[in-house]
Amino acid sequence: MSLATGTLSYLRFLAETVPAAFEVPYCDAMHEQRFRDIDADGDLEQARGWVAWDDVFAAEFDPTTLVSASGHLLLRMRVDTLKVPTVTLKAYTEQAGRERARAANRDRLTKRELDALKLEVKKRLRKRSLAKLQLVEADWNVQTGEVRLLSTSKATATAFVELFEKTFALKLLPVGLRNVLWLRGFQPEELDRLDALEPERFHLIPA
Amino acid sequence: MNAAARDRFAFLGREFLTWLWFEAETNKGAVDTPTFGPVRVDFGQRLTLETGGNVREGSTIQAEMPLLVEESRVALRTGKKVARARLVLEVGERTFQFGLDAESLTLAQVKLPTVLSTEDAPRVDERLLLLDELEAMVDEMYARFVRLRSDAKAWGPVRDEMRRWVAAPAPA
Repeated sequence: MSLATGTLSYLRFLAETVPAAFEVPYCDAMHEQRFRDIDADGDLEQARGWVAWDDVFAAEFDPTTLVSASGHLLLRMRVDTLKVPTVTLKAYTEQAGRERARAANRDRLTKRELDALKLEVKKRLRKRSLAKLQLVEADWNVQTGEVRLLSTSKATATAFVELFEKTFALKLLPVGLRNVLWLRGFQPEELDRLDALEPERFHLIPA
Repeated sequence: MNAAARDRFAFLGREFLTWLWFEAETNKGAVDTPTFGPVRVDFGQRLTLETGGNVREGSTIQAEMPLLVEESRVALRTGKKVARARLVLEVGERTFQFGLDAESLTLAQVKLPTVLSTEDAPRVDERLLLLDELEAMVDEMYARFVRLRSDAKAWGPVRDEMRRWVAAPAPA
C-alpha cells in the first residue's frame, strides 16, 4: 500500500507537539534508528528501522527536505523478516538426521542429537534464505500532529508506535471517538458532557 | 485514548453511522457540514450492524442498495446499530469511497478522486490534501452528530423521529 497510488487503509494517531528547530535532530535520530540488515549468522528473526522515502536501501535524511511545504513529514519503516518456514526446517532436519544416523550405523539419533541437528540445519538454511521485506508508509503533519499509518495491522501499528516514540521521543496516541472531537475544536466542557451519555435505544416503539 | 475509554464511547460511533443513514434517507441524501456545506452521503454495497455490549450479535448485508433491503431495517428493529459501512461522499465534483469502522473511525479501502499530477511527489501532496478533506468531512459530520446527541433538548425530537423511522418499513 502506497500513498502515491491505489486505495488506502490506515490508522490515525496524534503526536505530541514537535520542538523548535527539530529538523536536524530528527534526521540524526532517524539515521540512528535506521534499518539495519538482519545478520544471517545470528538468531534475530526480524529487523525494523527507517529508510529513505525514495530509496529502500538508503537511510540518509536531509533536514532541508525532511518536511514538505505543506508541513508533512513522510516516513517509511522497513521491516525484514528472516524466518525458516517450519515445514521446510522439519523436512531438512529429518533428511539430515537420516544421513547422520546412516553414517554412524545407527537406526536413529537421540532426541538431544536431533535438537542439536535442528539448530545446525536452521543456521544453514538461514544463510540460504532471503528476508521477507515489508515497507510501511506513514505521513506526519508536523503542524497539527496528525499521523496516518498506512496499515491496519495491530502488529505493524505496535511496531510503528514503538519505533516512532523511540526515535522522536514523542508520545503517539490513537485517534478515537473522543479525541477526534478535540481535534475538531470541541471545548473541554463539551467533552466532559459526553461522560454522561448512555447508549440510545432506537428500536423502542415511539410514544 | 486507552482501550477502556475507546470501549466506553464505542456506542457513539455506532449511533453516528446509524444517524448518518437516517439523515441520508430523510434529508434528501445530504448532510450539512460547516466547511463543505451539504455533503451527499450514500451507502455502498456492504453494511454491518451489531449490538453493543460484551456478547455481540451482528448482521452483514451485502446488496446493491443495502439501505433499501428489509433485512437492514429488521436488524435495526432488533437493537442493532451500524458498526461498519462502505460510504460514498460527494462534495462538488469530487467523490470519495471508503469503508468506515464506527468504533475506531478507521478508514479502509479509501478510493480518492483522480489526481492530476503524474510525478510522485506532487501526486502524494495532492492525495494528502484529498485525505485531509475526506477526514475533515467525516469528522465534521461526526462532530455535528455528537453536538446534537449531547444536547438533550435538541436530541429528544430527533431520537423520536429515528424511532419512528426504524419502525417503518424500508422505502420501496
